[in-house]
Amino acid sequence: MSSASVPEASSTPQKRFSNLRGVRWRVDLGILPSSPSASIDDLRRVTADTRRRYASLRRRLLMDHHPPKDGDASPDLTVDNPLSQNPHSTWGRFFSYAELGRMVDQDLSRLYPEHSGYFHTPTCQAMLRRILLLWCLQHPEYGYRQGMHELLAPLVYVLRVDLDHLIEVQKLHEDCFNDEFDGIILSESDMIFNYRSRRIRNWDSGIEIENNPYKVSNGLSVGELDPHTREIFLLSDSYGAEGELGVILSERFMEHDAYCMLDYLMDGAQGVLAMASFFSPVVGSSTNLPPVIEASSALYHLLSIVDHSLHAHLVELGVEPQYFALRWLRVLYGREFCLDDLLVIWDELLSSKNSSCIDSDVEYNFKVLCCPRGSFVAALAVSMLLYLRSSLLATETATTCLQRLLNFPQNPDMKKLIEKAKSLQMLALESNITSSSTQRLSDKNKLTISRGCSLPSGSAMPKTSVSVIPDSYWEEKWRVLHEDEELRKQSNSESSSSGIMKKILTRKLSLSRTKSEPLEGKNAHSQSSVRRRLFDDSSKDIVAERDHVKSECYVPAFVPDNLNAGKNFTEKLVDQRTSDCMVEETLLSGDSSLVLSTATSPHDIGNDHGYESEKSSVTSNSFLGDNDEETLSMEDPCNQNNQDEETINMEEHCSQNLDNQLAQDVEAVSSVVIDTVPEQVAAPKDRKSFPGKFQWIWKFGRGCDEGNQKSQAGYTKKDCCNISTCDAICNSSGVNKRTEVGDKKVMDTLRSLGQSMLENIQVIETVFQQDKGKSDSSDNVPNNSLGGKGQGAAITALKELRKISNLLQEM
Amino acid sequence: MVLVLAIGDLHIPHRAPDLPAKFKSMLVPGKIQHILCTGNLCIKEVHDYLKSLSPDLHITRGEYDEDVRYPENKTLSIGQFKLGLCHGHQIVPWGDLDSLAMLQRQLDIDILVTGHTHQFKAYKHEGGVIINPGSATGAYSSMTYDVNPSFVLMDIDGLRVVVYVYELIDGEVKVDKIDFKKTATTQSAH
Repeated sequence: MSSASVPEASSTPQKRFSNLRGVRWRVDLGILPSSPSASIDDLRRVTADTRRRYASLRRRLLMDHHPPKDGDASPDLTVDNPLSQNPHSTWGRFFSYAELGRMVDQDLSRLYPEHSGYFHTPTCQAMLRRILLLWCLQHPEYGYRQGMHELLAPLVYVLRVDLDHLIEVQKLHEDCFNDEFDGIILSESDMIFNYRSRRIRNWDSGIEIENNPYKVSNGLSVGELDPHTREIFLLSDSYGAEGELGVILSERFMEHDAYCMLDYLMDGAQGVLAMASFFSPVVGSSTNLPPVIEASSALYHLLSIVDHSLHAHLVELGVEPQYFALRWLRVLYGREFCLDDLLVIWDELLSSKNSSCIDSDVEYNFKVLCCPRGSFVAALAVSMLLYLRSSLLATETATTCLQRLLNFPQNPDMKKLIEKAKSLQMLALESNITSSSTQRLSDKNKLTISRGCSLPSGSAMPKTSVSVIPDSYWEEKWRVLHEDEELRKQSNSESSSSGIMKKILTRKLSLSRTKSEPLEGKNAHSQSSVRRRLFDDSSKDIVAERDHVKSECYVPAFVPDNLNAGKNFTEKLVDQRTSDCMVEETLLSGDSSLVLSTATSPHDIGNDHGYESEKSSVTSNSFLGDNDEETLSMEDPCNQNNQDEETINMEEHCSQNLDNQLAQDVEAVSSVVIDTVPEQVAAPKDRKSFPGKFQWIWKFGRGCDEGNQKSQAGYTKKDCCNISTCDAICNSSGVNKRTEVGDKKVMDTLRSLGQSMLENIQVIETVFQQDKGKSDSSDNVPNNSLGGKGQGAAITALKELRKISNLLQEM
Repeated sequence: MVLVLAIGDLHIPHRAPDLPAKFKSMLVPGKIQHILCTGNLCIKEVHDYLKSLSPDLHITRGEYDEDVRYPENKTLSIGQFKLGLCHGHQIVPWGDLDSLAMLQRQLDIDILVTGHTHQFKAYKHEGGVIINPGSATGAYSSMTYDVNPSFVLMDIDGLRVVVYVYELIDGEVKVDKIDFKKTATTQSAH
């Protein structure tokens, strides 16, 4: 059937000629009629016409470019001599033709060296050369540009593949396709005649062959073949409409067909996307930019809608889209993927229609996005950028970024890439319409932009929210927190008056409204530090341990700013911690400080709390030295920040920070995606869990501090059970931070918090003892010593914890 | 489709400062495959200039050439044709057809290119073709002051050679064309 107007995921009806790429592409390009009712004969006639046109073109142009020989009626010699400067003289044309030929030869010699078996044979090279030269002569305004050969190569390749397929089918059904009339097997009644004729033939060849009149063959007539083979037969039949010239799968006319395909691809067949325009520096009619520059900015525009942080990062590095997009677009990704992958991409690309889906009176942003095919091109580019997202965000300079972009990984997951591109295609089409258009459209447009990095809830969008891009951790995380955010939004509480705890938190973290200014000054600093953090995170994969040290180093920078001389128990906490261990407190406060600094950074797009919590969870994760991938994946959302409702948000951060830290830890350890569909849990649980988390962090921080990976790992494993008990709590608390809590309840909760802390402390102590016992018994001396040290420090920390819990209980 | 330039007797800097501007504008690198220069350049700069027009440069020694290493005669083969090059002051009487034909037979060539007379000539006789490209700068010769700048471009294509003559007459470039065909017969036994 004809190709669907909008590519859908899997519900497209089986397209006609789906296994014959050459034919299908010709249909998609517009050469062959695409209506489902077009018969094979119609196709043959159209094919024959195109071939005739090419043949006449070839005759005309090639003759034209050889200087006149004998019998010329006195040409003007001052013009027609070889040294003539006149470009229109025959000699001038001869020399320009020779020049084109040189350029084409240079490019062809470098075409697809990995498929040199096909592309570098003399016949193929000659054919490609002729096609390209003729196209350039026919379109002198474009001339020959490097890259046109890359567009031609896949076209020729698919024609070749079709022919190979045809040959295979012919071998299978030899008798059907057999064109010899001599060897016709007559019916049984003519067996004698058969026998005789066969005998004669055998005499000729001089070999006595045991002839077998019942020679096993499919013996099928054309009508009995399966539909697919029958179709191939009709396509290759020399006796159909237009005879040999109409044979659709024809080796003899491969050059003609390839030229036609190239021509239609370049000209766009009255569609929007004409590849030739990408090669020309001539400015477009609607904009003042060359089309390829315009297309590059179109894809950046799409990227900014889909993933603002990546876009911002690239813009900040100074990576203009055309630096990499020029190559991508001009050869339709021919240099980024291997040939087989490229064919899949072009299948999708060509099956999208090239006709504009925007009315002529509607204003649009980018010409290239007006048609589905152009939108697919842009969407695929964005999909590729998203595929490389984490490594791009980790790059610090434009050159490294471009290096990454121009060396696309060898074997990407094509299916995912293409599905993502398809889902973005709709978005691209919609976003193309400017806001001066209908109100409805503009609202939709604004919605898409205001949502920022959280993908808009368009019809095609839910797919992307659960899109299947490879970085699975990052996606899961995002999805988890996105649902978080949605539920939060649902729960519809913009402000929580959670009494003391809130105040405590705000004071502790110097989050009062008036105090937001000092943090502003750190913005630039914080940005670079964030960047450093990101860089750290990215290098995490390599060296886990070192990161601890690194992260700790960065933290002290923030400590002085955030330490607050408040007068509540949390500050006591802080003070006590300072007395005990510098690093620990820096860890925690650094935690929150980083949260703050990112919160106040100037990025003001997007309203995602989810991202902030992710960010804080990143920091905590890095301190805790837990799962590296998660930190990597978290780093991006860090850039997302919002400026609104400072205190509430920040409070949210902190609490969520810790909640999610623990959540992260659990994931890290158990590698289980937390189901963050929470129930409405009573507030007490919130508070109970809160100090519990403090303590976990603390303990873990200690573990880091000592550099005692082993014991820490031991802790993590053993305390998994404890974590799991808090699991449900933290999940729910993570979501329900905003539930209103009365003062009285707070008291109760604090008391219960204290209790839980005590319980946890006890557990830790038992753990310590177990470890101690283990280390004593083990022969490993270094472990022993380290274990001893770590345990000693941890024990003191536990004592402090006890004190805190007592305080809590008193309250 | 091989383009061969026959040029000579420039006498730069003694008798002429440079090639005429119109000639110079026509002689651009990249078009010409071979250059046959009869001699009397006279200095190295002219040699370098000719070298820039085409990588394949053949020069024979004229009596005023400052580089003494050029040979007296040169033969080479382009396509189906055998070409020979000589300055011509060695052949007395200067410019005499029979004497030049003797040289041609001696070198066993189809096309002989000589100079020294500073007059364009193109003879066809039984054995082959004798071409005199004249003086490209219009320098005076031992015999006359009335010299038009001229040179010759040969287009060798299979068994056919088309000779384009470029002359600067009254400040205008005039082009003429002569066709020669080689009979694809008798190859000399030696």
